[in-house]
Amino acid sequence: MQPMSKRKTSSDRLAELSACMERIANDSDKSAFAELFDHYAPQIRAYSLARDPGSDLVADDLVQEVMTRVWLKASKYNSSLANLNTWIFTLARNCRIDYLRRNSRYATEIDPTDIFNDIEDEGPGPFQLAQQDRVGESIRAGLEELPREQSEILTKVYLEGKSHQQTSEELKLPLGTVKSRVRLALKKLEVLVVR
Amino acid sequence: MDKANNHPYDELLAAYSAGSLPLSQALCVSAHLEHCPSCGKQLQRLNRVGSQLMQQLKPARASEQLKNRLLDSLDSLTDETPDREPAGVDPSIPRCLHQFIDSNYDDLRWKRVSADIHSVELCRDSNGARVELLKIKPGGSATTHTHLGDEYTVILEGSFSDEDGVYHQGDFMVKGENDQHTPVATQDRECICLAVTEGPIQFTGFVSRLLNPFIRRGYA
Repeated sequence: MQPMSKRKTSSDRLAELSACMERIANDSDKSAFAELFDHYAPQIRAYSLARDPGSDLVADDLVQEVMTRVWLKASKYNSSLANLNTWIFTLARNCRIDYLRRNSRYATEIDPTDIFNDIEDEGPGPFQLAQQDRVGESIRAGLEELPREQSEILTKVYLEGKSHQQTSEELKLPLGTVKSRVRLALKKLEVLVVR
Repeated sequence: MDKANNHPYDELLAAYSAGSLPLSQALCVSAHLEHCPSCGKQLQRLNRVGSQLMQQLKPARASEQLKNRLLDSLDSLTDETPDREPAGVDPSIPRCLHQFIDSNYDDLRWKRVSADIHSVELCRDSNGARVELLKIKPGGSATTHTHLGDEYTVILEGSFSDEDGVYHQGDFMVKGENDQHTPVATQDRECICLAVTEGPIQFTGFVSRLLNPFIRRGYA
């Protein structure tokens, strides 16, 4: 077998998956949908289980919500503007926020739809694609090298959906420490835009 | 697009990207983003972090049953969220606030807080935070005040200054409970802000707990 770098493999895979989106948009192609399901459903379930361990029904619901939107919004997705993995993440995040709001013991009158909606369709512009790839690469590499205490906090915030306050209570750390660890982690991942 | 000079700090933007920010604070970030391409760019990168973290999770297999159920449902799916063009809402109002405003700021039920200030409560968050709009008349001042919890402010119209500087449309500020300040609107026009005040319980005695609503109302 030909040796292939990990990056090459994953970007080839991403191109195949993006092509599936086009097939759905142009031809309502169900086999393309099945391929996307096979790739993303296990990720989406894992994302849901990170917040609600053991809740398989909730995880299946989230898959259903997200994949339904993938089918309906495929024509709006533009692979030259947004990375498909990131697009799926933002969909999963939005669906989870919506789900939590609908099922929360604590009512809020705030509808999250318009808070996050604009962002999911907006891309960075094609000329930034190359730069975006470099950012993706540095994030991937950086995450592997983060000290445990920092990656632990990113996991709480991004995957378990914990607020800084909840994270501080769970880990018995001062709120300021939680915030500064997030900041340090982002610095290490080189994601911060200088301004 | 306008350029704001005061931004949400990075870990706040990360919490927004993660979807773990209380929705009231997310409203403020969203309103700021409409005026700030630089934070928009930052957000793209932070979303990328979330996406990467999600991909690194150990995949949790989905059942064939779920897949088949979804495949069977595809033909009958219709998009229930049509592109909602805001019907009649002033386009200069941030989109995330359209859910509270039918047409424009003038039509809201403003209540007088002081000679210089009017306010209207938009909603409450599940954590008890109060979301409201504040309107300061030209040259008007909010009397010196401290906050009982953190206060998040985004300028929607006009500008104001306080001890720390001058703030314009889109600017995002957080004041902690010990920060004392006296915002003064500029002379040329009224200033409208989105303000989110967190509602931690400050007093624990029975009687003073009863007083909290009154104390909290009088902060402006």
